[in-house]
Amino acid sequence: MAIKSFDQLNSLEIDTLREIGSVGTGNAATALSQILGREVHITLPEVRIMGYNEAIEWIGGPESVTAGVLVKMGGQINGIMLSVQKLPFVNLVLESMLGKTVDSYEGLGELEQSALVEIGNIMISTFINAFSGLCGVSIDLTVPAFALDMQGAILTVPMAEYGGMSDYLMTIGGNFVYNGQQVPCHLLLSPDIRSLNFLLKKLGVSDG
Amino acid sequence: MADSKITVGIADMKIAKGDGILITYALGSCIGLCFHDPVFHLAALLHVMLPLNMEAGRTHPLKYADTGIRETLRQLEMQGARRNRITVKIAGGAKMFDVGGNNSLGNIGQRNIESVHAVLNKEGVRLLEEHVGGTVARTLLFDVASGKACIRSYGKKDIIF
Repeated sequence: MAIKSFDQLNSLEIDTLREIGSVGTGNAATALSQILGREVHITLPEVRIMGYNEAIEWIGGPESVTAGVLVKMGGQINGIMLSVQKLPFVNLVLESMLGKTVDSYEGLGELEQSALVEIGNIMISTFINAFSGLCGVSIDLTVPAFALDMQGAILTVPMAEYGGMSDYLMTIGGNFVYNGQQVPCHLLLSPDIRSLNFLLKKLGVSDG
Repeated sequence: MADSKITVGIADMKIAKGDGILITYALGSCIGLCFHDPVFHLAALLHVMLPLNMEAGRTHPLKYADTGIRETLRQLEMQGARRNRITVKIAGGAKMFDVGGNNSLGNIGQRNIESVHAVLNKEGVRLLEEHVGGTVARTLLFDVASGKACIRSYGKKDIIF
């Protein structure tokens, strides 16, 4: 049966999405390791279905500033993919690529921002490539867009995009681990409901 | 400003009487609306996410500009506010990401602004001042007693209006 809202997903469907997330984030971590020349692992990916205000709390409060890279998906799957990069992750990238770190987001110049966009773009593209290969769907991606602002506002972008269809936000994503420490960088995939139904049907897990 | 802050979430609305601060965080493409009846010292802060309610079930009126504004006015009037005294200040409607091309993604903010204007106009409520559009997120505070609003943004000076 096709779902009308993200909270109607059953456990088999959620397991399937988690598996997609696992393959996607695993590939993204490998790509990241290669670029940075350091071994980066990924935590177990999770599928979360959250109310709007719950999602804001989960990401760490509305007003904290963070860097976000966003790519929009089109083609057979419509949706948004976001890379939310917190300061420890930003510094891991900058140190490996540019040999410098920053104390706060205010220290990010044009060059640093462009490095973050590139890293975000590579991780997202790798994730989507693995995802589309695994599921046999073709997905088009827009060029990446960058924002440095309150994370609450960044997270409302996928909410507003699909808010007319659901009171919930679904994200598939994981966190990176470097040198035994968690480096918070969320890779979040938010498909729209129609695409999600199409995907689950194609994979044969939807009983409809 | 006083310590007692009442937080308004996404797709949410709170009413306060007398004094206190209403606050809603990190408005991106969403819009925050400050309603004020100066005679009654009655204030409401509404946080809407989308321009028009096209849901069949209408379970969540406060998510949308049209039903959200009407619901807020209804509740304010129930508490004694008068339509011709109510004034409104708004903030939000930014474009957080520019993905380029002919994409609907960046337009939600703009569509929210237009919808809020149209609905306020239709309901006969005066729009006093607005800080909308642009590309930065805004946190909106509203002082119930004075009817003054304040916008906090990252890397910018506070705006009081």
